[in-house]
Amino acid sequence: MTSPTITQVLLSLVLVAISIAVARWWRIPVAKDMALGSVRTFVQLIAVGYALELIFDLESLWLIALAILIMITVGAHAASSRIKQSEGAFQITFAAMIVGSLFTLVAMLLLDIIPLEARYVIPLAGMIISNSMNASALAIDRLVSDIQSNRPAIETALSLGKSWRVASGKFQRDAATTGMISILNFMKTVGIVALPGAMTGMILAGAEPLEAVLLQVIVAYMLLSSVTITSIVAVELTVRRFFTPFHQLR
Amino acid sequence: MAKRNSSLNTDIPILETVRLSRSVRDGSGTKSVVDHFSFSFEKGCIYTIIGPSGAGKSSLLRLLNRLDEPTDGEILFGGKNTREYSPCPLRCLIGYLFQTPYLFPKTVRDNFLYADSELPSGTVESLAEQVQIPSSMIDRDVETLSIGEKQRVALARLLATDPEVVLLDEPTSALDPSYTESIEKLVKDIISRRTLTVIMVTHHPEQALRMGGETILMVAGRLVESGPCEKVITDPQSEAGRLYKAKQLK
Repeated sequence: MTSPTITQVLLSLVLVAISIAVARWWRIPVAKDMALGSVRTFVQLIAVGYALELIFDLESLWLIALAILIMITVGAHAASSRIKQSEGAFQITFAAMIVGSLFTLVAMLLLDIIPLEARYVIPLAGMIISNSMNASALAIDRLVSDIQSNRPAIETALSLGKSWRVASGKFQRDAATTGMISILNFMKTVGIVALPGAMTGMILAGAEPLEAVLLQVIVAYMLLSSVTITSIVAVELTVRRFFTPFHQLR
Repeated sequence: MAKRNSSLNTDIPILETVRLSRSVRDGSGTKSVVDHFSFSFEKGCIYTIIGPSGAGKSSLLRLLNRLDEPTDGEILFGGKNTREYSPCPLRCLIGYLFQTPYLFPKTVRDNFLYADSELPSGTVESLAEQVQIPSSMIDRDVETLSIGEKQRVALARLLATDPEVVLLDEPTSALDPSYTESIEKLVKDIISRRTLTVIMVTHHPEQALRMGGETILMVAGRLVESGPCEKVITDPQSEAGRLYKAKQLK
């Protein structure tokens, strides 16, 4: 595929119009969200496009770090706003995403899987951060909900002399699993049900399919790492807020 | 299994509270749920705590098991401040049976082993026998048990930690009258077999009379009267006791 033109972008708005029309016909109250979402998609991506061009041209380490920090901050804000009990959620999601994302990125750089160039680091960081964002929101939400609805089970365990870690162990594991479930499902069906984004993008850009597949395998492993670490850190930081140093459920 | 503290001096109370207080925040400010409660519980004796709803009876038991933290005052176990104990082993020594029993999934045996995974051979059967659970029930799924059977399993599970003090929070409130009688008999039977101190909260003065021992009357978080159960219930000396007797406080 050759580079898309602005005319092609405008023509693709036909699909947005069809979606809005169908939603209205079915009386699904999302027409406004669809319209706004489409405008936001355009504006945000165009802005990002210019920002990336600048970052790629300057090739400054500081600029790469700043871009990653902004992505994580915005991601943590989005993740924490989706958590029902949001007190302290931003700090937790931010810390979990920093650990999960940076560990994975640094490991990939140290193992020489990707070069330290903005063209590689920024897009991959974007994928890592967006997946970590979903993982932390899902894991924290599940943990908060489980602990709140299982007070009798937890307090029974505590009353029998179990530590808070043991008493809440099942709920911690369930929450971490919830955070990881989408990447695990993705890995089960990848290539069979759908061709993933990175691979599709490369193929559309003219790369050989096998070359695209290899990159996609790396991306899948990278996401598994970041989502696993982010979920566990998010659960670990959240669960501690529920207990006192005397193993009492707050 | 938490071992009994054989070094405890038998001349000093097994459990003592000194101006024990706990306040909680509610909609209208701070409310005192346990208010300067001072009492000495002797080893091997049975105590019933009576009082109107909201008198702080269950809150007191939660403090004794360290499920909640006092805002003021002290709890001494064997003459030693409970703050000097690690909470988890202490909770094995001061066991707590909740009003509504929570059993962990799977079997009766699994519940006993949850309390102590290193129970010596034959102990599971012995515990079941102590609470009159037939051996055929030991490997049954706890979901198939009646509420009365569940309460017995919860009591036996508590005994698996080898406690010195057993806190019973209205253990018969959810049971039929026939089960109530059998649980009362069971508790008395267990006290006679082991040198246990039992502190039982009840809503029913008649139950306190059936259990015997000493009775404590609590009103608005305070200890208003204590002594032999017949005296406190049938011939109260305090105004609050007389009011309670006349069921005006109920």
